[in-house]
Amino acid sequence: MNYEIVCGIETHIELATRTKIFCGCTTEFGGEPNTHCCPVCTGQPGSLPILNQKVVEYAIRAGLALNCKINTRSHMDRKNYVYPDLPKAYQISQYDEPLCENGYIELDSGKRIGITRIHIEEDAGKLIHENGYTYIDYNRSGVPLIEIVSEPDISSAEEAREYAEKLQLIMRYIGISDCKMQEGSMRCDVNLSLRKPGDPNFGVRTEIKNINSLSFIQKAVMAEAERQADILDAGGTIVQQTMRYDEATNSVAPMRDKENSDDYRYFPDPDILRFCIDEDKIEEIRASLPELPFDKLRRYVNDLGLPEATARQISRYRKVAEFFEGTLAGGASVKNAANLIVGTIFSHMNTEEEKELFAVRISADQFAELVRLLDEKKINYGVAQGTLQKMLESGKSVDEFIKPEDLAGISDEELESLCREAFDANPKAVADVRNGKDKAINVMFGFIMKKTGGKADIRKAEALLRKMIGHD
Amino acid sequence: MAISKTEIEKLAKLARLSFSDEELERFTAEFDEIIAFADTINQSIEGGTDQIRSVGARMVSFDDLRPDEVMPSLPSEKILSNVEGYNGFFSLERSKK
Ligand SMILES: [Zn+2]
Repeated sequence: MNYEIVCGIETHIELATRTKIFCGCTTEFGGEPNTHCCPVCTGQPGSLPILNQKVVEYAIRAGLALNCKINTRSHMDRKNYVYPDLPKAYQISQYDEPLCENGYIELDSGKRIGITRIHIEEDAGKLIHENGYTYIDYNRSGVPLIEIVSEPDISSAEEAREYAEKLQLIMRYIGISDCKMQEGSMRCDVNLSLRKPGDPNFGVRTEIKNINSLSFIQKAVMAEAERQADILDAGGTIVQQTMRYDEATNSVAPMRDKENSDDYRYFPDPDILRFCIDEDKIEEIRASLPELPFDKLRRYVNDLGLPEATARQISRYRKVAEFFEGTLAGGASVKNAANLIVGTIFSHMNTEEEKELFAVRISADQFAELVRLLDEKKINYGVAQGTLQKMLESGKSVDEFIKPEDLAGISDEELESLCREAFDANPKAVADVRNGKDKAINVMFGFIMKKTGGKADIRKAEALLRKMIGHD
Repeated sequence: MAISKTEIEKLAKLARLSFSDEELERFTAEFDEIIAFADTINQSIEGGTDQIRSVGARMVSFDDLRPDEVMPSLPSEKILSNVEGYNGFFSLERSKK
């Protein structure tokens, strides 16, 4: 029997603030256990949490980037549960007044996946279970998170993956998180149920917790959909439960802990004042958002005429896109700049992470100088690639490498007589240049390049030619 | 009655505590009194406690929230001074189910 997948994703993202959500302790990763702690983040009686402004700002950035409505009034709630990762026996979160609501992410197909809400909350501590003991490190306790809840609009494993991938890209672009799934700064919970096509009612759903890679999201959705379909086909019923995806066996199995604690008894946290955000502030934050990757992609293809595959590779990483745009601002052509970035610079970067960081040793301006030589046909593509390699290794400018031997390889006297030859052989071009058709000088460049096999220093040749034409 | 014995049982379960039947009876009565007392606050405010949040509560503006500046944390000996620690960790012996 064929079923329709009904899937929603809850994503927790660690915000890249300097301090925790309610205290001044550092959020820096690592450190000896319980050294990034204070009375607030270890839940000591009498301590008072004070909300970090940056957390609110970052959550609003996320909300705006995901097309959400931002609530101008919001408050924190206590979510009660008893587990040693939370020293207070409650997590400070948001329940009925989340910061952001009603947004969406658009998939490549144009389909929109609704964003129900985004709220802010604190992360829990880390537990290590060993030899019958549980050891607790509260360094991560109180690190700020946003939880992004999607509508159950996702209807395939591929859509689930694309949704999470787009979310990750956007969050990185707006600079609120590094969203490293392996390291836990982005974690996804997938809700999934099946129904017969056309059935308006939802089936019983399960939740797969804490998936830590994009491909596992896709695999987990497939595995769980198959598991549920097998049960339904055999006439069974789905039990609503929390599941875990096991990557080793590519299967989904029920999880045991925290089972009956589903009654969180939310209530407003009396220690934290309700807060309000002016419309002006929201607009200020909106104005500070960068152009988002999909808008860039669209612009690169439609306005700059880049092939989609190339445009996608460049727009995917904010720093690469900025470098590319800086190169264009430096007068380089779109095509050559894009091809050298994707073809040569990327060949030095094997991982997503390296492209994300894009730690190149040359500036966009230095790169533009090189690309311009190529644009003006003063060097050919091979020379440009080789020179770029050397520039990337040394961090030095193009003039360090493009020497007479690259550009000319012939003496000044030879060049002068070549120019004279070109001048004499192309009276029409000379006349055209004199009449203001400056591009006609290219005819003489072509003549010289042909004679020298591309070795002539075209800048020198240009100076000489212009002297002869009387147009310098 | 503001609270029932069943609710106390449920709360105990959520808090992972177990009580004898006599204890449950006693807690139910005590909780009931405490909640009844807390309820008198409702009578002193027109519209009840919901009003406190929706109208009367002080609000802070965005600008008054805490700036994101790192403050020193406490030394871990201090953090662990009231508990049994192990190698800098809090440690708990797990209960056998
Ligand atoms: Zn702290």
